[in-house]
Amino acid sequence: MKKIAYILGLIVLASSCQKVIDVDLNESSQVIVIEGNFTAKDSTVRVKISLTSSYFNSDPSMTVDNALVSITDGNGVVSVVPSIGNGVYELTSYDPTFDMEYTLTVNGFGEVYTAKCNLVTPVALEPITYQFFDGFFGAEGGYAAFMNFNDPAGVENYYLAVLGLNGEVFDNIDEVFLQNDQLTDGNFIQRPLFANDFFDIGDTVFMELRAVDKIAFDYTSELQSIAGGSNSAAPGNPTTNWNNGALGFFNAYGVSQDTVIIQ
Amino acid sequence: MASAQNFTISGSVKDSTNGEDLYGASVQVKELANVGALTNAYGFYSLTLEQGSYTLVFRSSGFETKERKIELNEDLTINIELDIPKDVQELGAVIVNAEKENKNITSSGMNVTKFDPKEIETLPVLFGEKDIMKTLQLTPGVKGAGEGNAGFFVRGGGADQNLILLDEAPVYNASHLLGFFSVFNSDAIKDVALYKSGIPAEYGGRASSVMDVKMRDGNNKKFGASGGIGLIASRLTLEAPIVKDKGSFIISGRRSYADLFLKLAPNEDQRNTTLYFYDLNMKANYRLGEKDRIFLSGYFGRDKFGFSDVFGFNWGNATGTLRWNHIINNKFFSNTSIIYSNFDYEFTIGQGEDGFGVVSSIQDWNVKQDFSYFINSNNTLKFGVNGIHHTFKPGALTGGNESFNAIVLNQRYGLEVSAYIQNEQKIGSRINMMYGLRYSGFNLMGEGKAYDFNEFGNIVDQRDYASWESIKYYQGLEPRISASYVLTEKNSVKVAYNRNLQYIHQLSNATTSSPTDVWVPSSNNVKPQIADQIAAGYYHNFKQNTYKLSTEIYYKSLLNQIDYRNGAQTVLNDLVEGELVYGKGRAYGIEFQLQKKKGKFTGWLSYTLSRSLRTFDDIDNGREFSARQDRIHDISVVLMYKLSDAIALSASWVYYTGDAVTFPSGKYEIGGVTVPQYTERNGYRMPDYHRLDLGLTWYMKETKRFEHNINFSVYNAYNRENAYTITFQQDPDDPTKTQAVQTTLFKIIPAVTYNFNLK
Repeated sequence: MKKIAYILGLIVLASSCQKVIDVDLNESSQVIVIEGNFTAKDSTVRVKISLTSSYFNSDPSMTVDNALVSITDGNGVVSVVPSIGNGVYELTSYDPTFDMEYTLTVNGFGEVYTAKCNLVTPVALEPITYQFFDGFFGAEGGYAAFMNFNDPAGVENYYLAVLGLNGEVFDNIDEVFLQNDQLTDGNFIQRPLFANDFFDIGDTVFMELRAVDKIAFDYTSELQSIAGGSNSAAPGNPTTNWNNGALGFFNAYGVSQDTVIIQ
Repeated sequence: MASAQNFTISGSVKDSTNGEDLYGASVQVKELANVGALTNAYGFYSLTLEQGSYTLVFRSSGFETKERKIELNEDLTINIELDIPKDVQELGAVIVNAEKENKNITSSGMNVTKFDPKEIETLPVLFGEKDIMKTLQLTPGVKGAGEGNAGFFVRGGGADQNLILLDEAPVYNASHLLGFFSVFNSDAIKDVALYKSGIPAEYGGRASSVMDVKMRDGNNKKFGASGGIGLIASRLTLEAPIVKDKGSFIISGRRSYADLFLKLAPNEDQRNTTLYFYDLNMKANYRLGEKDRIFLSGYFGRDKFGFSDVFGFNWGNATGTLRWNHIINNKFFSNTSIIYSNFDYEFTIGQGEDGFGVVSSIQDWNVKQDFSYFINSNNTLKFGVNGIHHTFKPGALTGGNESFNAIVLNQRYGLEVSAYIQNEQKIGSRINMMYGLRYSGFNLMGEGKAYDFNEFGNIVDQRDYASWESIKYYQGLEPRISASYVLTEKNSVKVAYNRNLQYIHQLSNATTSSPTDVWVPSSNNVKPQIADQIAAGYYHNFKQNTYKLSTEIYYKSLLNQIDYRNGAQTVLNDLVEGELVYGKGRAYGIEFQLQKKKGKFTGWLSYTLSRSLRTFDDIDNGREFSARQDRIHDISVVLMYKLSDAIALSASWVYYTGDAVTFPSGKYEIGGVTVPQYTERNGYRMPDYHRLDLGLTWYMKETKRFEHNINFSVYNAYNRENAYTITFQQDPDDPTKTQAVQTTLFKIIPAVTYNFNLK
């Protein structure tokens, strides 16, 4: 009898299924995609310009190499970001000024696009801590590592956190961790950052805390919600700081890092 | 010239087996064509005639007709109990239709879809759980929000635009198990009426429809018990007189036990999972004298999800109604109600010091006074007032962990007031009219904050308000008119217009309805939704009323519709109004239904051709787009066949155009990943949906006091893989490729349910 009840339960729970299907999608005209990053850490402005492609196309996306790219600081000083080929533009030794608004300008693909972003002062990481946990959910036990920092009180802070393990850095936009201080303003924050598994003794764990503008935080949050397949009834392109219909975003951010070897 | 004097006959019509009031029973005068009255929801009728000799004919659906000869020389009180026909009683299920068979032709009330749960108890349903809301979705103009979703759309309106009443108490979330079942336990329900247009003036507060569910009163003759054991849940109902013929009570409970299966699982983590829901319906009524009657009814339901101490999620409704019926005189009926309604949900994560939780609720206190004045046999006047105090608690986070600050969102208070007057009038033998006017107002009050936002949804100003201080007041008039013109005994035409205002709104963004979809009041930012609908219908009965054909056409305009901005943050956000955009909508369509209600073979076939469109300045640059529920074609076929006294067969088949949905039109790379590019809102369609369900009910040998049956059903009999969601993602095996993945929720599902009734 027990067995029958269990089987019935399984029928109910296991009825759903997934399969890959063909969907006929419209061809839309190509749109420019601009990903701009100004990393205060290495004083470098990196811009990548590409074009959208049809959804089921498996060729690499087309890049734009003949655009004129420049960055303007809060004092109106314009610096050119030169092309280094393959759709990438790079300006090195560009010294950051924190709490300054930077404007990135791209003249290409028949239009001038601009985006503004505030370069936020970095928030210092305290040393990484770690702790042993017994396994649960059927997984084996191991070490969890915690990112520690003091959130500045009285201001809205937005963070993106990046984890690295044994030299590999998980910094794809869908892998970064989102943290804001809506519920934690002014507190000492202790947050575990997980890779797929717990860490083991001997692992080198790296963490990077990016203090970002709200627009970059929101963009990352919205992008993460559509990147992994969305169940929203009305998915849309993430809200960007680019004008004139360009996709992508421009993010200027300050960085704080720490590394620990688990032992 | 001395005119003959008028006298009034009044009284009640009840079911002789259990004393339940019969609602909508007709009292016709045999000698006078087209003169009569209908009982109200409490079984009361009043009929005023000239002095004379008459034969009164009492009829109600499923009962034997009774006649009573009277000499009308004075005011009379006539209380009637109608019997269930013997052969039907033994069968216990199939309905003999003894209501005046062309009532659909002659009644003024247009477009009311009415069900007695008994009429549909043989229909096949998911997991064999009888569900009145799922059956309503098989009627024209009513569309289910999809599998795994108890929400429904009426004539292109939103799921929050349906006023769902359980004994007059609003039910804010009518679903269990994230939408697989409705909260209405069929055993406790007397009847359900759904108004799609020509909504009577006594109802208000939602833009698109009214679903009025009435609980049973309980047997006031003798003790009874009934129940059922199903695959997912079991039910038990007990009813008995408090004092015979004076008062009765009913208690009906239901609990699911999917979690009990999990207890048997080999994996400890599955054993630690909690997953169940329960419902408890209770009602008692007592007659204080000839003229007064008190009712007390309540509903409590809750869903619980959990995993050990790690995670918990529960939600539920509680409603209560205290009602006093008073017969002021034989023409004047009063109903006074005090109604409580609450919906809340709670999340908990962890336990003790490290744990934290989120709670959110909406709570109503509601006072209602309704009068019916039966002026004469041609006019019935209804009027009343209503005040609802709403408390919105959008969310509070409480926690032990030091790195979290407790957060309590701005609570909001609203007072919704209304008054209405309505007359139902017969003009000659051919015209029936119902015309009324409703005034409604909404006062959003402190204590609390109000925020102003700019066009991008960023806050620009905030103000504090004291307790009961008005933040914003809205008001409006809602005219309601419907009329029918009887062409012949067999056919008629009807027209209706109604305006409805809606002051509270549910924000929903996901493909599935979630208990966490928040209700927000109208405010300085959110305007009341306004719906105007015109509708017309043609009704024709064939072959001695064996077949009934109805055709209805409608156009609905919707103002101040609400949608989210892209990427809106909706949980624990005090500034959620800044995440909203506003627009308008329109819906139109034509509905056909061919029904057969007599004979061994009954059922209906319905087809709806309709559109539902929205326009928002902030979405797609103001281009008109399809609402999600813009299903162009919608077909349902419902067949019930009585094979023998012991076996009843049933089948239902549905087909509809896939929901409008937003798919990507391209893709691009950003931050090391490939993401979809969207170009237009709801520019695509899900695959068309269709499904066949089959049922067989076997009525086993019964005794005088005990009857029982077994219901076998097969959901999705030809195992169609209908799309629940379609997700666009990177191919996990080859990141250079992208793919579309369809999830199907329910393939073929057999179920068996055992039902019993101790009479």
